[in-house]
Amino acid sequence: MADFEPRIVAFCCNWCSYAGADGAGVGRLQMPTNFRIIRTMCTARVDPEFVLRALSKGADGVIVLGCHPADCHYIGGNYRARRRIALLRLILEQYGFDAKRLRLEWVSASEGEKFQNTMTEFVNTIKALGPTPVQKEVN
Amino acid sequence: MSFFDRFKKKDNKKEEPKVDNKEKFAVKKDATAPSLCGCGAGKTAESVEANYSKMADLGELLPGAPPGGKINLAIYWAAACGGCDVSILDTNEKILTIGDMANIVMWPIAADGKEKDIEAMEDKSITVSIISGAIRNSENEHMAKLLRKKSLIVVSYGTCACFGGSPALANLVAGGSKEILNYVYEKTPSTANFQKDYHPGKPIVPQTKCTVPEGDLTLPTLFDTVKTLDQVIDVDYFIPGCPPLQESISQLLKAVVDFAYHGVALPPKGTEIGVTQTSLCDQCPRHKEFRRITKIYEPFQVNIDPDLCLMDQGILCLGPATVGGCNARCTRAGQPCRGCYGPTLEVQEHGASAMTAIASLFPVLDDDGTIGEDQIIDIMSTIKDPLGYFYAFTMGKSLIKMAVKEKGGQ
Ligand code: SF4
Ligand code: SF4
Ligand code: SF4
Ligand code: FES
Repeated sequence: MADFEPRIVAFCCNWCSYAGADGAGVGRLQMPTNFRIIRTMCTARVDPEFVLRALSKGADGVIVLGCHPADCHYIGGNYRARRRIALLRLILEQYGFDAKRLRLEWVSASEGEKFQNTMTEFVNTIKALGPTPVQKEVN
Repeated sequence: MSFFDRFKKKDNKKEEPKVDNKEKFAVKKDATAPSLCGCGAGKTAESVEANYSKMADLGELLPGAPPGGKINLAIYWAAACGGCDVSILDTNEKILTIGDMANIVMWPIAADGKEKDIEAMEDKSITVSIISGAIRNSENEHMAKLLRKKSLIVVSYGTCACFGGSPALANLVAGGSKEILNYVYEKTPSTANFQKDYHPGKPIVPQTKCTVPEGDLTLPTLFDTVKTLDQVIDVDYFIPGCPPLQESISQLLKAVVDFAYHGVALPPKGTEIGVTQTSLCDQCPRHKEFRRITKIYEPFQVNIDPDLCLMDQGILCLGPATVGGCNARCTRAGQPCRGCYGPTLEVQEHGASAMTAIASLFPVLDDDGTIGEDQIIDIMSTIKDPLGYFYAFTMGKSLIKMAVKEKGGQ
């Protein structure tokens, strides 16, 4: 499966991680191009339904990026998000997914490099896991 | 490991029973005034009652048959438990009203109409078909399609038909119908012994076709995935509930009576009958107080306070994510809502919605900024079987409808 190019959905919170991704771009940091970023105002805006919808449509992995603990611009949004994502990972495991297909990571506005590393690492993780186990709708 | 092995291996250790958590809520006990915080604020008994689903008035007796003659009515069960049929009988004497208005051309639980009778009818000659149950085998699918062809209006009745209900949890068996049949006919203690004693080495299992001297016998084929009715045929109205309240069926009958007798237009296609615009919490009379879950309890582990929101007592309740309509019959009786009415109107993914609500009730800890993700997983793992709990009734309609299997990658 050497030529497997994963499709990854990355949810970035507007205040930290999206700016971090911008920083990575401005700094011309090299990284794989397998992900599409969706900007949300906060990680707490990422309804688990979004993640499930991405997976059901064939995403090979989903990563949620937000402000570091205590840095969320809505005070407690990332604390909510990490509880939801943790629970969602348990649910994905019950479905039979490898829980590594969903990841939550903190990237601040100044951490372009961390963004680069996180994304590269995540793409590699998903490459190792192989394509999504979700089958096309059989009806 | 197969699905069922995991099931058996499940950690069956009992939680040490909680003696009483009244103390913790003592503050609330003497506070008779409505709570000042949360969604319960300002909610009065009247506003809760105003939100109560009521019986539609069908009139004591209808004036004989409708002007255009009696209408035809079919009631069918697919993969159902029969509870939905019984709930139709819950309309008590109103069931006689149905007899005034309609010929019941099919109702397997109570009347004589057979498949061939329906086949002989003209297309669209049945005014209403009420179908309960999920679509789980080839017969369910065939009958649903036949009734669709013969009917003007098809009603998806009950949670199994609308959302897959509990039968759809079978979708989580990774091996599909094969694993299920194998388990049921060869692995359960009773069947394993039976097969061993009577058919050693060659277990008897159901076949879809079997030739006997008198000819061929057939059985329907069990599907790998349980479907909702509207995944198989076009559906006009939905009445959720496991089973639906008699108030809901009375509202449907009222619409049909108005249509048959007075030519009143039917509700718009796709209408969900018998539900409110808001979540179940709005119909629930319990006071919302702290709305924080620090430890989860099963209902039998605590003395349930009759007035306090169950979540405040550590009991997971799907009320916030479930559409109102049932008049909160479970929470009034001291049991948490399990979500049988399905999601609120704008939401598809009921389980995700419930999970979102419940996960946010776990309080932010003092050291939340510094603890690791593993600790968060530990906290959330106190919810046992989250997939089964949050999707108990709606797996058939969920975004990921069945178990998946990782291929292992490189
Ligand atoms: S919705 Fe409930 S009562 Fe109706 S058939 Fe399904 S399990 Fe039975
Ligand atoms: S007991 Fe359940 S339905 Fe009632 S208010 Fe609490 S969460 Fe809502
Ligand atoms: S309280 Fe919940 S589980 Fe009980 S009948 Fe109502 S919707 Fe169904
Ligand atoms: S604003 Fe970035 S996580 Fe809340």
